Amino acid sequence: MLEQLLIFTRGGLVLWSSCRALGNALKGSPIDALIRSCLLEERSADSSFSHESYTLKWAFHNELGLVFVAVYQRILHLLYVDDLLSAVRREFSEIYDPKRINYDDFDEMFRQLQKEAEARAEEMKKLKQSGRVPPVHAKKGGAGQRTLTGIQGNGAKKGTGGGAAKDDSDGDIGNGRLLSNGVDNGMKGTNKSRVASKGKENGAPDTGAFDVNKLKMRSKTGKKGDGEKKLAPTKGEPKKAVKKNRVWDDKPVEESKLDFTDEKGDERMEREVVVVRGESMMDKEEVISSESEGEEEDEVEGAKPEAKKKGWFSSMFKSIAGNSSLEKANLQPALKALKDRLMTKNVAEEIAEKLCESVATSLEGKKLGSFTRVSSTVQTAMEEALLRILTPKRSIDILRDVHAAKEQGRPYVVVFVGVNGVGKSTNLAKVAYWLLQHDVSVMLAACDTFRSGAVEQLRTHARRLQIPIFEKGYEKDPAIVAKEAIQEAARNKSDVVLVDTAGRMQDNEPLMRALSKLINLNNPDLVLFVGEALVGNDAVDQLSKFNQKLADLSTVATARLIDGILLTKFDTIDDKVGAALSMVYISGAPVMFVGCGQSYTDLKKLNVKSIVKTLLK
Amino acid sequence: MELQQLVNQTKQWISEQPVEQIYIAVAVLFITFAFFLILSFLRTSKSNTIVIAGLSGSGKTILFYQLRDGSPHQGTVTSMEPNDDTFVLHSDLSEEKQKKRAVPVHLIDVPGHPRLKPKLDDYLPQAAGLVFTVDAQDFLYNYQAAAEYLYDILTKAIMVKKKIPVLILCNKTDKVTAHSKEFIKKQLEKEIDKLRASRNAISTADVTNEVVLGTPGTLFTFSQCQNKVTEAEASGLTGNISQVEQFIKENIRR
Repeated sequence: MLEQLLIFTRGGLVLWSSCRALGNALKGSPIDALIRSCLLEERSADSSFSHESYTLKWAFHNELGLVFVAVYQRILHLLYVDDLLSAVRREFSEIYDPKRINYDDFDEMFRQLQKEAEARAEEMKKLKQSGRVPPVHAKKGGAGQRTLTGIQGNGAKKGTGGGAAKDDSDGDIGNGRLLSNGVDNGMKGTNKSRVASKGKENGAPDTGAFDVNKLKMRSKTGKKGDGEKKLAPTKGEPKKAVKKNRVWDDKPVEESKLDFTDEKGDERMEREVVVVRGESMMDKEEVISSESEGEEEDEVEGAKPEAKKKGWFSSMFKSIAGNSSLEKANLQPALKALKDRLMTKNVAEEIAEKLCESVATSLEGKKLGSFTRVSSTVQTAMEEALLRILTPKRSIDILRDVHAAKEQGRPYVVVFVGVNGVGKSTNLAKVAYWLLQHDVSVMLAACDTFRSGAVEQLRTHARRLQIPIFEKGYEKDPAIVAKEAIQEAARNKSDVVLVDTAGRMQDNEPLMRALSKLINLNNPDLVLFVGEALVGNDAVDQLSKFNQKLADLSTVATARLIDGILLTKFDTIDDKVGAALSMVYISGAPVMFVGCGQSYTDLKKLNVKSIVKTLLK
Repeated sequence: MELQQLVNQTKQWISEQPVEQIYIAVAVLFITFAFFLILSFLRTSKSNTIVIAGLSGSGKTILFYQLRDGSPHQGTVTSMEPNDDTFVLHSDLSEEKQKKRAVPVHLIDVPGHPRLKPKLDDYLPQAAGLVFTVDAQDFLYNYQAAAEYLYDILTKAIMVKKKIPVLILCNKTDKVTAHSKEFIKKQLEKEIDKLRASRNAISTADVTNEVVLGTPGTLFTFSQCQNKVTEAEASGLTGNISQVEQFIKENIRR
């Protein structure tokens, strides 16, 4: 049953609510969560949004600036919600009046619409049932079973109960066998039906949101060998295998560990002191030049003459005539052009697609202003959307947090994570330099105990910056090294501890587990993901997998995810700045620093307006 | 060629007119131009726009509708767009005597969600006053964010240049656990003092803190600001908004 249907304006006023008596009696204010984490994040093209125990679906009426949201229990799969939402939208827009606030007469209409929608859904279900479409039915049966197993009961027993109840005409599917056998076949049946039903619903969006139920089901099917392959393509090795050293040739394996840690430290190197090389670029203001913009636009216009001319004339005509409302068909060419432009700026394809869809949903049905073309409306909407995404949603003032931690008497811990070769150690040194310039005492922790030369690299930086470094050499457990480093920092009253970790690929299960162990054990204040600006579509994969692994393997209820992004090698890309957008969109974390060179002063903050301008040039 | 002919023709026509008429015509043009210029200056110096800003969830939209309609209707959700309307204050409407003297107020409620913060910059240039709402009940959970937002607002160049008065409104005072306005004021001053220390040389991505607030050596108090900062209490839900209305009336078209 539908919990609530809410109609509100984009400015925030609730116009009508289906359950008036209880007001907002929903637990945890899911509507606010929807607005904050979905609609304002430009994910409004998603089909639904899950929050705790509720699922929410929505529809927009862009012309009048209204939003219609339906809330229902997540374990139910109501099929009539989309239908109901569009019917409600149609009816309400007829009685809507901007001056009017009270819409009590809509109750009757709504009840009628709801009955109609439910009736229609029942009919559809019966049609499908009676027709010879067993896979579809298996999906429904599977969905029912999935929800039942999702509740952590005695999975087999409930599975059999469910299978028996829906076991009308599908003896050929494993459901029939559930009745006779015990646990094993029950699991098999649920496996197969689960695979079929997976394609049906986008319950948990693959944007990093973590669905506890899915994890529990996955861990169950881990026991069953055949289900595992279908369900868990990302799982590399079985859990029990220990990581062995890779042997590339036929040489005999040397069992003695190669640990060339220099116990005394290299005293022969000169003590190179870093004289203050000037202000870190973090503290310099950026001047945005707006002159070059005009020229670029003309060039682009000249480059595509043919396609533009046809569209230009007809849209020009329409725009002067005014009053044509935007339909999806009109938006498509403009959106496609925008999407291509974004992709030439190195934005990941998936992200560009989602963004364009989101902009389309927010523009559909809007009336074009007079003398404006479709393309310019789309451009302004996209510009606003990009500005919204790149504006950080929480404070990125690290110095304030450092001071707050200092008052509490503990060091502020920052962990740098990322894949191989993105520039973690280099940028760690740059951040240390910047902090030093603001009178903050820094300590480095060398938790990259795998790569040869990592500890020496940090040691050199520490020597040049004249700050203490905590190191334990190679082949030690990074989590323990980090823990000890933090204790050492508390002892010698350092304000900040910067922890360097080894680079790791997001698919490497044991390494990701080691990383989450480090984070769980030490509970850092800031988990900074270091990503290079040269990365293309892989940025999406990296960030989402990192976040997912951190969430999956977390030991506490509220998992520590990636808190911020450090974008490196920004000087190597001229204007292909799309990686910043992909990373921010997929993880929701703000870009805290941008590395733009290899010396200590080459660290700056992200200038949102100039990035947006460059992306849409 | 045709252009040349046209120019010659106009020259001839001008020379045919008596000299005084030309002088008079030019003088009239000049006077009307100057007149409009002065009018436009006068008009912008006293606008009737009040901007309501504050963190998400501090009660801005409810306050907006209370001021306009006298009731919070059926409640609100997080705003995605600003609420912008010009109206006569609801309390003014009810008094028959004042109806004729009532001045319409242009009220703008800017969403408090961090991602929509740049929208505030669009409305500040026309503002005659700013109401900064603070949730007095949940103050201790988000006072740092509130202080940061307030600091960002107070250090905007346009605020200092036009000396826009700020009213710090402690909202939700009808709740039992709401803090008093003196407590809130003191906490905010302390936080802003800390922020001054950590922000004095940094330029953030979009907002450049161009102004140093107050006098650097001493503890920060709101009286050190160049624009007038006052505090008040209100309750959006129950309609206890008299102090806000007073602030609005004081600052628009005196």
